[in-house]
Amino acid sequence: MSSEYAVKLDGVWKKYSTTEFFHRSVREEITGLLSRKKDEILTKDEFWALRDINLEFKKGDVVGLYGANGAGKTTIFKIISSITYPTKGSVTVNGTVAPLIEVGAGFHPDLTGRENIYVNGTIIGMEIREIKERMGNIIAFSELEGFIDMPVKKYSSGMYLRLGFAVAVNSSAGILLFDEILSVSDVAFQQKCIAKIKDLKREDRTIVMVSHNLNLLRETADTIYLIKDGTAVSF
Amino acid sequence: MDIIKRVIRYRQLFIVLVWREFAVRYRYTIIGVMWAGLQPLSMMLLFTFIFTYIMKLKVSSYPSFIFYFAGLIPWTFFAHSLNASIPSLTNHYQLITKIYFPRELLPLSSITAALLDFFICAVILFVFILIYQIPLTWNALWLFPLIVLLIIFTTSVSLFLAGLNVYYRDVRLASNFLIQLWFFMSPVMYSVDSLDTKMKLMLFLNPLTFIIENMRRVLLEGRGIVLWQMAFVCVVITVFYVVLSRFFIKIERAFADVI
Repeated sequence: MSSEYAVKLDGVWKKYSTTEFFHRSVREEITGLLSRKKDEILTKDEFWALRDINLEFKKGDVVGLYGANGAGKTTIFKIISSITYPTKGSVTVNGTVAPLIEVGAGFHPDLTGRENIYVNGTIIGMEIREIKERMGNIIAFSELEGFIDMPVKKYSSGMYLRLGFAVAVNSSAGILLFDEILSVSDVAFQQKCIAKIKDLKREDRTIVMVSHNLNLLRETADTIYLIKDGTAVSF
Repeated sequence: MDIIKRVIRYRQLFIVLVWREFAVRYRYTIIGVMWAGLQPLSMMLLFTFIFTYIMKLKVSSYPSFIFYFAGLIPWTFFAHSLNASIPSLTNHYQLITKIYFPRELLPLSSITAALLDFFICAVILFVFILIYQIPLTWNALWLFPLIVLLIIFTTSVSLFLAGLNVYYRDVRLASNFLIQLWFFMSPVMYSVDSLDTKMKLMLFLNPLTFIIENMRRVLLEGRGIVLWQMAFVCVVITVFYVVLSRFFIKIERAFADVI
């Protein structure tokens, strides 16, 4: 596997339904085993969240995705991290993905910051041993030394974000997905994160970020794509 | 087999999830892990009071509270596993839509936490056995395959219902009632020994009947297992597991879109 791309999306289409009636879907899963139904046809209440997305991210790329709410940015993330699967087309990923679609995924309010580092770290694919080794770095990056043994239910949203981000950037994942996560933090921490992103780029890691803040993307990203109505165009 | 492979690949996360389940449950409690033994022990006292002292039933040659406790331990494991795993996927809605990991880790970590409670209760049972000097025979070794069967059966049912609950929240609402019915269909407060063949056959449709009944028999009465029955139940439970875990893997891909 010496290909240089980290993520490749090939003619990816994704269909979603607007209705709340999921009753049909489990039956579809079962009947789908027997007959291959046609995916291309939209039935009533369905729409294409992504239409024919072709993207290739190389190792060491910092890519920005820019677009209005509901344009399909998060759907692209979900497909890259195999949270969901494309209706049509294929996705190839080279390396482990640490998605940060939401900061602090799996944080439990009753557990302390330190305990939650273990939960969140293993969720984004770190080993327990790795987390132990990097505990010092993670805590230092988050600047939460004084609060690390406090239950995170007492944290502010900014503290939550710092802890989550600190875990993610200290993981060894080859591909990092940041969904709008820098927008909540203060300017000083934002600058620190931007510096860290540049460090990660030097380590040949791929970073894909979503933001509404075009200036922030211009500052960090090599390429920016505009996502509009489920299609991607270079920006 | 797929599920086992995936759990092994994600074992680090699995360990942390089990730890989290266990730690969170007993955090901010005064008596902590003692809760694990408290529920079956209090049920045991209740049964002994009603059946032995009020209804004057004689269920066993050894003290009847041990009879009830030995039935309550596997039952509590089964009931707690179902109760915890059925909402485990929908409760972690945030996690499922935000990150990929094999979804079965959530119900499986609930089951494993219930299994830890099961072993805590088992220790209490062995203390009772020692105090009341109930003689153990080699037949007690059958306990181990029976525990394995119990775990596999519980896992199959939990995965199936937890997965179905993602689509139909009716499962969660029906589960209390279902578990209660299931309790009366399982030989926890009675033994199938004294029943006629027709009734026995009917109750043996429930795989838990075989497991609970035989756990008591091999451990407390020193009796053996009917081998053809054992073989039959093994086949039934294996088929159960294969079908239901395949079903789970099949519908798992769509969880993030549906939940």
